[in-house]
Amino acid sequence: MPATDRSSPQMVLTEDQAFDLLAFLFSAAEISLVEPTYYGTFRLVDAASRLMGFMLEHDPERSREFLHRFKEEVDTKKVWMMWDREAYYDFLRAAPAIVAAELKRLDEEAALESEATTP
Amino acid sequence: MNGSLAQLSPEQLLALLKSRRVCRSFTADPVSDEQLRLMTEAARWATSAGNRHVHKFLIVRDPEVIHRVRAVSPGMLTAPPALIAILTDLDKAERESLQMEHDHANWMDVGTAAMNMMNMAHALGLGSCPVTSFSRSGAAVMLGLPPHLTPEWLLIVGHPAPVPPPRRLSVNAPKPVTARDLTWWEQPGRHDP
Ligand SMILES: Cc1cc2nc3c(=O)[nH]c(=O)nc-3n(C[C@H](O)[C@H](O)[C@H](O)COP(=O)(O)O)c2cc1C
Repeated sequence: MPATDRSSPQMVLTEDQAFDLLAFLFSAAEISLVEPTYYGTFRLVDAASRLMGFMLEHDPERSREFLHRFKEEVDTKKVWMMWDREAYYDFLRAAPAIVAAELKRLDEEAALESEATTP
Repeated sequence: MNGSLAQLSPEQLLALLKSRRVCRSFTADPVSDEQLRLMTEAARWATSAGNRHVHKFLIVRDPEVIHRVRAVSPGMLTAPPALIAILTDLDKAERESLQMEHDHANWMDVGTAAMNMMNMAHALGLGSCPVTSFSRSGAAVMLGLPPHLTPEWLLIVGHPAPVPPPRRLSVNAPKPVTARDLTWWEQPGRHDP
């Protein structure tokens, strides 16, 4: 259970977009059988970028700014894999904390809102 | 040499080859019939093992089809205005008695055809990028291929979008490979003549 109920009625993925992502993930799984092992990290990060792109198409009120900024950062840094692998690995190590901080911010924002609306 | 190429000096050819870099970001401008024809013409004149020509070049510009192909192509980082799929014609390969599982010449022919196309694209002012990181089975479905045609290589092509050049990052970033690094004279390990 999430610490705070942050369930928003806003949908951030259509069925078509979800299928797009499914096709991508299964294709990435298949080609991971033959590609260098570290490419698997790139496929996951790229899938995350595609997911953020789909979410942004729905213009999510609470997270649009974060998604916009972070997707741009991810798209710049993911391709470092091809010419500066150490810098790319550093980014992989840093990225989860960035998402975690945003999740926490969303939780806190929702908690404040629910406090404000509780009679 | 067959015929004269007086207009193109070795320096000019090298400048063309060196200035081609893969392009992963395109404008929405369309790629014309003529440009695509010139690219496949260049592919046709690539070397072909045994002069067998067991490949076909399938040109796709329908954005819906490209979108679907991209969904099964993790290596296609952006949706291009056009793509050329290099296919192996298994019927023809069989007629030519090719032993597909053991004969690597098939893959080499794909590479030489693709390289000619990329250089022609560059000469036309277009950008292109090879994509081999895709699901063969998925792409066959999305491209509507019959069972005797297998997709080997997707070449995405379009007008290059203005993008900042890649930045070198950490102090330990590896230096670009030079021809000298890759070349040995007379014996392994000897980098100079
Ligand atoms: C056989 C082959 C497969 C490739 N597959 C992909 C791919 O799936 N996706 C991609 O973005 N680039 C792909 N590339 C492009 C290489 O990453 C690129 O050629 C390399 O980074 C050097 O860049 P340059 O051609 O600009 O010098 C491929 C290149 C080759 C030769």
